[in-house]
Amino acid sequence: MQKILIIDDNDIVQLVLQKILIKEGYTVDVAVNGKEGLSMIGEGGYDLIITDLMMPYANGFEIISKIKQHPMGKDTPVIIISSITHEDSILEGFKLGADDYLKKPITGKELIIRVNRLLNK
Amino acid sequence: MFKDFSSYLQENSFLGASAYYFLSLPLVIQIAFVFIFVALIATLTAYGSILMRRYRGYRRDQKLADILPRIDQLLTDHIILNDGLSQNIPVEEIELPLDEFRIPLFRTRENRQMLIDRIVNYKKSFTGSIGALLRQLYLELELDKVSAKKMKSAKWNRKVQGMIELTDMDMSISDVNILPLTNSKNRELRAEARNAYIKLSKNEPFKFFDVVTEPLLMWDQIELFKTITTTEEIAIPHFARWVTYSSNKSIVSFCLKLIVHYNQQDAAQAVIRLLDNKDHALRADAINCLGKLRCEEAEPRLISIYSNQPLNCQIEILKALGRIDTGENIQFLRREFLQSSDFDIRKNAAKSLIKIKSVPRSLIDELIETGTAENQLILKHCMNPLIKF
Repeated sequence: MQKILIIDDNDIVQLVLQKILIKEGYTVDVAVNGKEGLSMIGEGGYDLIITDLMMPYANGFEIISKIKQHPMGKDTPVIIISSITHEDSILEGFKLGADDYLKKPITGKELIIRVNRLLNK
Repeated sequence: MFKDFSSYLQENSFLGASAYYFLSLPLVIQIAFVFIFVALIATLTAYGSILMRRYRGYRRDQKLADILPRIDQLLTDHIILNDGLSQNIPVEEIELPLDEFRIPLFRTRENRQMLIDRIVNYKKSFTGSIGALLRQLYLELELDKVSAKKMKSAKWNRKVQGMIELTDMDMSISDVNILPLTNSKNRELRAEARNAYIKLSKNEPFKFFDVVTEPLLMWDQIELFKTITTTEEIAIPHFARWVTYSSNKSIVSFCLKLIVHYNQQDAAQAVIRLLDNKDHALRADAINCLGKLRCEEAEPRLISIYSNQPLNCQIEILKALGRIDTGENIQFLRREFLQSSDFDIRKNAAKSLIKIKSVPRSLIDELIETGTAENQLILKHCMNPLIKF
């Protein structure tokens, strides 16, 4: 079963994404901030990482750049989910190695399609 | 000679003895006693109030910890993971299990409010069919009526709460209810009403600009700007209308910023007319707007009025010349840079000289070579590509 890590400090987003993705047949772990996210990535084993941008301790950009430098995470696809819609932020995310960008508020169906596409499901 | 308290107590009750003893004391001591007493009561009241608030907060947290998981369970089971959604059934045809939500738990006002808050928060995070289903649930449970009732409350914070809930749930609010609030004396209420009006009124979201008499404070402008520029499918009017006719200076100033943001070139004439306005702050805003619109036809006018303007307008004119970039006023900028005694004038003239593409490199070199130490420093600062102009 493919394993996904969600890094987001919003409890509603955590809960709902978790429910939607579990229903789709994925195993899901949740980190409530960037620091926790990074330590979980260090343990490895994730097929996809979904991260917010604005979070305490470490923001999404820092997380993506560390994931892409990490031997366990450099090939792991990353989806950014954020309410930041500024073009520069989106481009910065892609520049650092993000594979997709979803603007909040998100739609469940779009999320599923994008996750499935990245995981070739 | 003072008698001690015990001798009063032998002849009177405790209260009577206290009163006699107090009256027998010198005035200074009496005043000190009153102060001590008042301070003591005030301190105890403050402590009592803090403790009460903390206790209420603690009780509320406990209640939230108990109720939120139940609300989340209901919302995820019946809305997020709704079978109808996964079968692509249109949202309006999905039958929601309303009985699951019409349980005794949500009959109390406090718990019902927790449900509303949670639905609103879910709606903020999710759009599409999930968002539409959340809205349908909110409507079918008649929670919109609860929010609308708050709008009629005498308390401004309840009104704001109701308005935010209705706005976040994309509910309509009639003009009769909301327009008067856009002009409320209460700053928070009118700011929220203006935001709500723009979000909810799809046809004429800026109608309140016509009725606003209270000023739009800078923070309100930032909030409104964010709402206007991030609300989808909003009908953007010609802001020149308010630049010409509004008597509210803050509305005019705000419209100038919106004209720049939406690059409404056809507003240039209305903005040029503002150069005759008596208010120098408004003139400065108009000059700034003309510069950002790169309005070439305004350039001769800006030069002609320059010498009669206060410092803030002069600085805006210098900036505008750099932005418009026709290259026809290089000598004017050079003269201001060399002859002005004001540092800001010299700095902005230098910035514009550097910015204008047709300024020959030799002119800049000459200014650096022949300038004073301070002017050389200004030019080098302005030539730094890391410093944005």
